[in-house]
Amino acid sequence: MPVSAPKGLQERLDPYLAIIGPMVMILMILAFMGVAEPARYFRLSNLNIILLEAALYMPLAMAMTFVITQRGIDLSIGSVAALTGIIMAFAIKEFGFPAWIAVLLGIAIGGIFGLINGLVITKFRVPDLIGTLAMDLVYRGFALVLAKGLVLARFPDLITDIGRGRLPGFLPIPVIIGILAFLIGAFILRRSWFGRYSIAIGSNPEAAEMTGIAVDRYKVYAYVLMGAMAGLAGVMLTGKLNAIQATSAPYFNLHVIAAVVVGGTSLFGGRAYMLGSFAGVLLLSMMINALVTLRIEFFWQSVASGVVIILSVAFYTWLQKKDRDGAKGLLNAFTTPDNIKLMKLGGVLAAGTVVLLVIGSLFSTGSVPSG
Amino acid sequence: MPAATPIISMRGISKRFGGVTALQEVDLDVCPGEVLAIVGDNGAGKSTLIKILTGVYQPTEGAIEMDGQALSMNSHSEAIELGIDAVYQTLALADHLDPAANMFLGSELTKSFLGFRYLDNGRMRVEAERVLLERLGVRLRSMDVPTESLSGGQRQAVAIARAVYHSDLRVLVMDEPTAALGPQETARTLKLIEVLREEGLAIVLISHSLDDVFAISDRIQVMRRGRRVDVVHTRQTSRQEVLGLIVGAAEAA
Repeated sequence: MPVSAPKGLQERLDPYLAIIGPMVMILMILAFMGVAEPARYFRLSNLNIILLEAALYMPLAMAMTFVITQRGIDLSIGSVAALTGIIMAFAIKEFGFPAWIAVLLGIAIGGIFGLINGLVITKFRVPDLIGTLAMDLVYRGFALVLAKGLVLARFPDLITDIGRGRLPGFLPIPVIIGILAFLIGAFILRRSWFGRYSIAIGSNPEAAEMTGIAVDRYKVYAYVLMGAMAGLAGVMLTGKLNAIQATSAPYFNLHVIAAVVVGGTSLFGGRAYMLGSFAGVLLLSMMINALVTLRIEFFWQSVASGVVIILSVAFYTWLQKKDRDGAKGLLNAFTTPDNIKLMKLGGVLAAGTVVLLVIGSLFSTGSVPSG
Repeated sequence: MPAATPIISMRGISKRFGGVTALQEVDLDVCPGEVLAIVGDNGAGKSTLIKILTGVYQPTEGAIEMDGQALSMNSHSEAIELGIDAVYQTLALADHLDPAANMFLGSELTKSFLGFRYLDNGRMRVEAERVLLERLGVRLRSMDVPTESLSGGQRQAVAIARAVYHSDLRVLVMDEPTAALGPQETARTLKLIEVLREEGLAIVLISHSLDDVFAISDRIQVMRRGRRVDVVHTRQTSRQEVLGLIVGAAEAA
């Protein structure tokens, strides 16, 4: 064995970079909750709730890691999950399919939806952002058409076991499914052509093309995997709630993207961290659970997910920046000519808003009830 | 002097893109164990010519022969199978993958377990290290870092190693290999090219740097406006003459 040079700090840190970010944030949440609400947060039953919540997103985050690594994005997963859940429910309730067939059907149909997404993106050349957003409308529309506003409830034991069952004395079944998904995902990422080429495609699409990789085909594979995992999530969601409706799973897309990105997988492609995605899923579930424990309104979850995405992307971008010279402190950053112009623009907008608020309150006629 | 029989001969190659004629009746011969430099101004047709040689483009007219056999290639991968490969100026590396993964990108080594095939990262690593050291005499700083953290010369070595790993490689096209390198790394790259020439490869070198061309090449083919102006033996010519051929001064005088 030839000796390799001693490794630098950056080099040694790099493989663990992905979980440092989420780990720090997890510790922060733990510390904060330890002060604010220790009794209710650190209960075994609450841990169970966190894990159950996280499990739903694990297969999704695994697949999304591949999609994002290829510089793609899939915004349609929530609708795919809802629609496959509904199709599975119809298969059981209307047509009397055996439950296990219906489960596999859900996953397979999810895969077909993913295939459609992939073909829209690679064959019609619709950018992934617009393509999957539009297909999100399509799938959600079909879900609404099929379910007609009904809530389909009460499913066979197999479905509820998948969604919230528990192996006696061990982890809940959905958590096992989720962890299994991540283990398989980690193997695929490191040991399969698909994983290797996903990184290559995201890292340098032209180079991937030049070395003879079928870029479009591997992109379609990623979306098929994403769709199949969204189908699985639909099954798990149906089982967890023992009910499914057309408006289920509304924020799956951003939640999963947040989990993947917070785990260090780069939105700019080429950087995949399966372990980071796992930590990211746990982090988001802990955060949302903390919000619930603190009795903060449900609607703040969406604010929190958004802020986490922005902060983590900004953080990792900053971390990647190699050249830190020339930025001589915060004050200098604020006084560059461009930033002064931006501040002036911000000042004008703020002043205008204040003026409007003042005028509005001057002419105010008291509150007007809307109904 | 290199062997007299060319491994590749291109005859009367023309290429038109719509109404634009990029190449007109161009010939090219390259022998094993020889470095043929192609020089010319921007737009002289150098890139088009080598893209035809590497199967990326198909000629509008003309024929390519390899060992005297007529050759028709419909894609770059067919050219690779025939033993013709190229190292591009952009190197075509996936910067986030490690050097071994890059070297085997598109032709990974695998092993199988119960009939299930998966990538053999360990063997790829060992092989990459071996090829880099034995054929190119290069030892990388580390085999575990992403390729982006290597120096320009080492990245180039990885790209070259990818091309030469195919043991049936016979013709290597290098497009501006030294354009982005500093003096030391340029010297090292030229040494690499020399090593490959000793191994009997036919090398087609495209370069704007006459320094490099005169340092390494056996023959120089000068292109201007889509035509082959002349082919000269490097030892029997001078910079002035080549420069004159490139800009067309010799003809006008």
